[in-house]
Amino acid sequence: MNASARYCWLERSGEQATLVLSGTWHLPRIAEIDAALAGAGMPASPLTLDGAALTTLDTAGALALLRRIADAGASIERLANFSVSHMRVIEAVLGRLGDTAVEAPRRRHGVLALLGMHVLEFRALMTGHLDFFGRSAAALGDIVLRPRALRLKELAAQFQHVCIEAIPVVILVTFLIGVVLAYLFGMQAEKYGANIFVVDGVAIGTSRELSPIIVAVIVAGRSGAAFTAQLGTMLLTEEIDAIRTLGLSPMQVLVIPRFLALVIALPLLVFVGDVSGMAGAMTVANPLLDITPTTFIERVHSELRLEHVFVGLVKGAVFAAFIAVIGCRMGMTVSRDSRSIGISTTSTVVQCIVSVILLDAFFAILFQELGY
Amino acid sequence: MNGAPVIEVDSIVTRFGAQTVHDGVSFSVPRGQIAAIIGGSGSGKSVLVREIIGLLRPAAGRVRLLGIDVWSASEEELTALRRRFGMLFQDGALFSSLTVAQNVATPLIEHADVPPHLLGPLVRLRIALAGLPVEAASKMPSELSGGMRKRAAVARALALEPEVLFLDEPTSGLDPITARAFDRLLRFLCDDLGLTILVVTHDLDTLLSIVDRAIVLAGGKVIADGPVKEVMRVDDPWLQSYFRVRTMLQGTENNRGT
Repeated sequence: MNASARYCWLERSGEQATLVLSGTWHLPRIAEIDAALAGAGMPASPLTLDGAALTTLDTAGALALLRRIADAGASIERLANFSVSHMRVIEAVLGRLGDTAVEAPRRRHGVLALLGMHVLEFRALMTGHLDFFGRSAAALGDIVLRPRALRLKELAAQFQHVCIEAIPVVILVTFLIGVVLAYLFGMQAEKYGANIFVVDGVAIGTSRELSPIIVAVIVAGRSGAAFTAQLGTMLLTEEIDAIRTLGLSPMQVLVIPRFLALVIALPLLVFVGDVSGMAGAMTVANPLLDITPTTFIERVHSELRLEHVFVGLVKGAVFAAFIAVIGCRMGMTVSRDSRSIGISTTSTVVQCIVSVILLDAFFAILFQELGY
Repeated sequence: MNGAPVIEVDSIVTRFGAQTVHDGVSFSVPRGQIAAIIGGSGSGKSVLVREIIGLLRPAAGRVRLLGIDVWSASEEELTALRRRFGMLFQDGALFSSLTVAQNVATPLIEHADVPPHLLGPLVRLRIALAGLPVEAASKMPSELSGGMRKRAAVARALALEPEVLFLDEPTSGLDPITARAFDRLLRFLCDDLGLTILVVTHDLDTLLSIVDRAIVLAGGKVIADGPVKEVMRVDDPWLQSYFRVRTMLQGTENNRGT
């Protein structure tokens, strides 16, 4: 007896073909059962099925059987000697055999259609951001007219998250950038004996360009992503709907405190970054370039015009507004499943960083033209 | 094999901190039955189910599921056991990044050796057995209604041909018509496919229409266990007020009729 004979074999008596089933027909053995059925040599004519020797039959086994019979072009003429429970399983599967054959239509799009979809999505995203920005501005205007509508407690709590708790990481990163900058500048400047200009470079570079950019990227990753995840989860759990039905404005309760907290926090963090970056440069300037801390500070004092610092702080505030608007809006427009929170959060961080860099390029030209 | 109980719970004790949730809960469910666990909020019904399927360890007591002692079994035995039962969580717990068909296919691909040409049909059979239309297969869980999501979760729970199915409040959040259709699905699974079903429920209609047996939890103990008709007569204040809601509803209906 070969392996396939364990599950089924064909018996013929004259015109009549009988497929005898035997043994355990269940999911763990489905591959063997299917192979046995394929090897049984099913005729393309009506069959009698004999289930007397069948010990177990589950829906997977029944499906394999019925599909093989249908594929061979055979049909079931009679079911003989099946137990009541096996009959029920066969009937349950037989009634749904049509459904199992239908391949559900797949949604596939061509390259052009995908490109078009992405363009439309991008347009919707941009107009959506603009709309949200407008509504945030209107809500801010409301605050100006009615200062009591400002939720100071929420503002303070957000400020704690986005500013105070971000200080250590900002100090660490900008300090190290300052060290690296002074080291690399120093290597070049030393060749010309222009050691002292390292201080100018680091001071202006850090306060005008590097500190705002680096702090904005850190804040985008920390707070922008957090805004999206928080507001997205609140939308999912219908908290935002609850706020609305209680007659409160989600704009005033959720968005404005986050927006203001970030716009206040980012310039402060940029200033922290300025100081810490220069401190980093100062620590390596002494041993590497023979610039003592006193000389360093005096040089900064005489060469770093206040404009440079202000440019950095102004840029920080604008970056903050963009990060807050993008983060909040992406959170308030997640679709209602947990997957989309992840997608939106990722998207927030990418959008924030890209817009920070674009804004920075714009500011570089703007301030140049204005003569700062 | 038919004689031995499928689920045996023996003097389970559960404590959360100082609070004792179960204080010696025992019952057993024979093959081919739909048993319901009922009880007030906080009586530890869902906790009990989690203890039976090996998600939460009880402080004391024994659980035997399909003849295997859940809390002293080795990891291999548990893995083998997990293929023999299905669990339907309260909100379905479908994987939100996969389509319904992919959700159902996941356990089949992981745990069964299905020939590739049979995988698609088998997935669609599960979806059809759970009473979903074929078109639902390619949809994402977020595109389905509450009732359909529960059915999709049943399709996934049925994927590996379980012998036992656990359901945690399957009809909560469904409208009465959808809920009754879901009840009929459970009865079909039990009668035609021979599943043993343990359901945690608050739904009186489920209880009165399809359940063979009710197990009532109160004060950390089983206060009643038997056919629903018998349980209804047990003299317990919570049980009496529970069933009275139903009688009151029928009363108003009758009054309106006359």
